[in-house]
Amino acid sequence: MALYYFRLECVRMVRDLRYLALAVLAPIGFYLLFATLFGGKPGAPGELKGTVEIMVAMAAYGAVWGALSATGPRIAQERSVGWLDQLRAMPLTPRQVMAGKLAAAMAVVLPSLILVCLTGALAKGVSLHLWQWAAIVGAMWVGSLPFALLGIMLGYLVGADAAFPLSYGLYMGMSAIGGLWVPPSQLPASFLDVARVLPTYRLADLGWRIAQGTAPSAADAATLAGWAVGLGLLGVLAYRRPRRRRGGRAVAA
Amino acid sequence: METVLALEGVTRRYAETVALDDLSFAVPSGSAVALLGPNGAGKTTTVSLLMGLAAADAGSVTVCGTTPRAAVASGRIAAMLQDSGLMPGATVGELVELARRCAPDPLPAAEALELSGLSGLARRRADRLSGGQAQRLKFALVAAANPRILVLDEPTRALDVQARARFWEAMRAYAAGGRTILFATHYLDEVDRNAGRVLVMSRGRIVADGTPAQLRERGGRSVVGFRLDDPKAENVAGVLAALPGSVMAEGDRVSVQTDDPDATVRALAAGPLCWHALSIAAPSLEESFLSLTAGPSPISATSREES
Repeated sequence: MALYYFRLECVRMVRDLRYLALAVLAPIGFYLLFATLFGGKPGAPGELKGTVEIMVAMAAYGAVWGALSATGPRIAQERSVGWLDQLRAMPLTPRQVMAGKLAAAMAVVLPSLILVCLTGALAKGVSLHLWQWAAIVGAMWVGSLPFALLGIMLGYLVGADAAFPLSYGLYMGMSAIGGLWVPPSQLPASFLDVARVLPTYRLADLGWRIAQGTAPSAADAATLAGWAVGLGLLGVLAYRRPRRRRGGRAVAA
Repeated sequence: METVLALEGVTRRYAETVALDDLSFAVPSGSAVALLGPNGAGKTTTVSLLMGLAAADAGSVTVCGTTPRAAVASGRIAAMLQDSGLMPGATVGELVELARRCAPDPLPAAEALELSGLSGLARRRADRLSGGQAQRLKFALVAAANPRILVLDEPTRALDVQARARFWEAMRAYAAGGRTILFATHYLDEVDRNAGRVLVMSRGRIVADGTPAQLRERGGRSVVGFRLDDPKAENVAGVLAALPGSVMAEGDRVSVQTDDPDATVRALAAGPLCWHALSIAAPSLEESFLSLTAGPSPISATSREES
């Protein structure tokens, strides 16, 4: 039953045009645009070629929204329409529900990652070793976990009206400052200091380093793991937070 | 008969409000029981406790000999909750399938859809259903799970008269298989037709427990009404005063409240008065209900509703 629940969570994402447009089509479109405008220049020694750097940045950009949109706005909406109450009265345990949501969020990250990489290989002539392709997708997939956890926390913390704009605002802010829009090498030093603690920068850095043929840094792994643990704990607190019943109806009714 | 639902000395408080006050009752397997009471009587709290969605502050709740959560997890009890909703983006058929996968002994999906009158709508998205259809889907989810015990919290709220009739028709067909049903309602006609036993709740306690017929007799008296041809006739006052029952006269209209309407009518027919337009109203469940649950509601409950 938990597997069917997971399947339902995935199916409804695929039906959601907003997800397809923002998390899958937009990164591909932006990649084609930016790679055409800025990707031509050969990178300086030790730097990635523009088409590769932007490919990784846009893969991260899509993955972040896939993970966030599958959780935050959805959980907030399900809380407000009472679907989570319905689930509690069914044999699924809260743990299974949570696992289903997390697994679905991670699953919908994959199309964003894979399709942007495919676009790079097919349309922009990005050429990497097979192990690099596999490692980029694999590492960035795991690296998307903090964003799914962030979404779960937001979903239990804020109302249905605020969840979408808040998630989207955080997404845009973290993407811009995290060097997904502007190459980190062109960010001012003060921005770069901020970028380095953001999970968005660290997610893309995983891919950039693998594309350069090196292993991701311990700082990347540690920063992402730290965000995952912190957001996971905050998520648990948000989930356990005592809340008034919906609609302001008398509790005793 | 095996007891499948049991509350013993259950108290539940919300902040300063006592929602359930030392509540005890037991429901034997196979019965249809109505929880009847005004808003704030504790019906929904009772349902929450039976489903393990809330815990009792004192006392014990037993479902099929085990804890409510264990009974829910094993699919022995399922509920149509009052405020629950449906998964946006999923179709009717998918949600029924989810309910079936969760259940140990589910009904075929087609049968659950048929019972709830949703046969043609399996591919419709749950968030695009009308209010009545959504309510029927919530019933289909319970029906598909095929539990031994069904709990329905005001299942026909927000349904129009025809939809209510259709709902109960489906419900009766479903219940015919020997299932135990507990439903909360404040519609008296639903109680009369669908419950073999009524628990009347008021302010967290049970104030009456019996069949709808017993309840009707408890609170109400029959009313014999008629009109006098000549209210100013000189013997009227004396004759009326001699009728069995308590008499109220206003102009030419007279009504007599009585436990024994037969005796009142016989006395009237044998007496000297000239009268017409005789009517006899049986004691109503509504009157009984109102007399049982009458009284001011606690102030704390009111203030909470505003918060």
